[in-house]
Amino acid sequence: MHQTFSFLLVPFLASLVLLVITSYFGIHVIKREIIFIDIALAQVAAMGGIIEVFIENKLHNIAAFTISPHFSEIISYNFSLLFCLIAAIIFTYLRNPRIRVPIEAFIGITYAVATTATVIILDKGAGGDVHLHDVMTGTLLWTTWRGLFRLILIVSIIGVFHFMFRKHFIELTEIYHDKTKRLKQYRKWDFLFYFTFGIIIIEAIRIGGILTIFAFLIIPASFSALFAKEWSRRIYLALCAGILSACTGLYLSLKLDVNSSPVIIILMGILLVAGFFIKKLIFIRPDHKSL
Amino acid sequence: MIENLLFLATPFAAVVILAGILSYFGTHILSRGIIFIDIAIAQIAALGTMIGLLLGYPEESFQVQLISYTFTLLVITLFALTKSRKPFIPQEAVIGIIYCLGLALALLLAEKIPGGSNYITKTITGNILWVTWGKVLKCFLLFSAIGIIHLLFGKTFKNISLNNQNTNNLIREKAYDLLFYLTFGIVIVKSVLIGGIFLVFILLIAPAATSTLFTGNWRGRIIWSWIIGIAGSIIGILLSYSLDISNGPAIVCLLGLFVFVLAFIRLMLPNSISE
Repeated sequence: MHQTFSFLLVPFLASLVLLVITSYFGIHVIKREIIFIDIALAQVAAMGGIIEVFIENKLHNIAAFTISPHFSEIISYNFSLLFCLIAAIIFTYLRNPRIRVPIEAFIGITYAVATTATVIILDKGAGGDVHLHDVMTGTLLWTTWRGLFRLILIVSIIGVFHFMFRKHFIELTEIYHDKTKRLKQYRKWDFLFYFTFGIIIIEAIRIGGILTIFAFLIIPASFSALFAKEWSRRIYLALCAGILSACTGLYLSLKLDVNSSPVIIILMGILLVAGFFIKKLIFIRPDHKSL
Repeated sequence: MIENLLFLATPFAAVVILAGILSYFGTHILSRGIIFIDIAIAQIAALGTMIGLLLGYPEESFQVQLISYTFTLLVITLFALTKSRKPFIPQEAVIGIIYCLGLALALLLAEKIPGGSNYITKTITGNILWVTWGKVLKCFLLFSAIGIIHLLFGKTFKNISLNNQNTNNLIREKAYDLLFYLTFGIVIVKSVLIGGIFLVFILLIAPAATSTLFTGNWRGRIIWSWIIGIAGSIIGILLSYSLDISNGPAIVCLLGLFVFVLAFIRLMLPNSISE
């Protein structure tokens, strides 16, 4: 019993840290209706990494130029960041009353182009191999202390930044779909939102995988929308729902010997459906009109 | 050269048919703001296939296809019927949740089926070069039938998509909505088998998005989507052939980048659009 708990301690702490930040970002994501942003940014970051490998291989072929693996990893990370930065700039500029296409459409197209471009680059010989499933579900159970500390560091920096300027970020998200508002004065905050979000996504996906982070963002935040309207209460509710699912999920996955991420996701789904019916049954008078 | 053209004739015919039906549906999908619905449907269809396999039926058997279709249409029906006037989360979020739960279940089931992980993402890569005339003809007939339904009820579908229906008859609206989603679901499952998720996705969204940038007129949006979708696919296949890259990714990148270029051009133009 004691062993089980010590084994689950790191993955549990990692889920906890992830949930703290995704519960907050998830509300932004749902209110802005940019649901698939995590998948798109993840793919863009992956494309950045693949392009770095491609360039490195070309350099190696031309000039017999080799980079140490450690250094290469750092460059690769920077390439991912650079591509997220470009994506952030594009999404910021395309949020404009003149563009009557929802931003989610651009997110989708970015996702499709980034994925297929990666396939083309790999075809043309980046030499690497994409492990789609690992990227999809991640390996939450195998999180190391080192990985955990790195995650805590980045989540704290971005978290503190968002907490300090929460007024701007929340105000922007609240008026995000207001077609009459000129968003020009908010552009700086919009850009900072997408960029900081990108940094979190790159980091979170290393630990949890694309699908897990996607679920962490969307499902707890949807659950909280059932019972609360204020941001602070929603974050709190989302966090509770997330932690409950993560705890049970990690334990079950260990006991049943299955992959942890799908179990946690399905538990979150069950909790959401249960919450929906509880609300229908108990709260007859809906206390909030719409989103 | 003639031989090459003959070799490419079938994929050409296939993309023209796909672009024809998907560009039309894309205009609806974009107006409804449910961008990722096709990826969710494809994921549910893949899950349906896995359930069929788990029940012990051989792959590509009639039973597996039947289970896959039934399961997909069931989920779509649920999605169409739970749509409410005052949703607590946007419909796109519901799609996200369906996709995510579908994929999570598929990942769990994959451990129970020998070689199961092949099915999770089977539909991601389709190759339009392998399509046969028989399949093209079948698709053409099926899509024509769906096209006729949409010709008959097109006006109501349009009003629901644009959210300007004036009737307060909720049941009637739901019935039309259900018909819309069922026809859409069949088209998606069928086209993903031919072109793969990403080609279908881009043919749905990119042409419709490009035309919406420049016109607000419903008919104009559909006609321009057709032109852009069909032209983009044909140029994409030719490009892929001459650059020696796979055709699906070539079309996706071409049409996708085209949208971004035109969006930035739109930003620079003065703000006057015909409604």
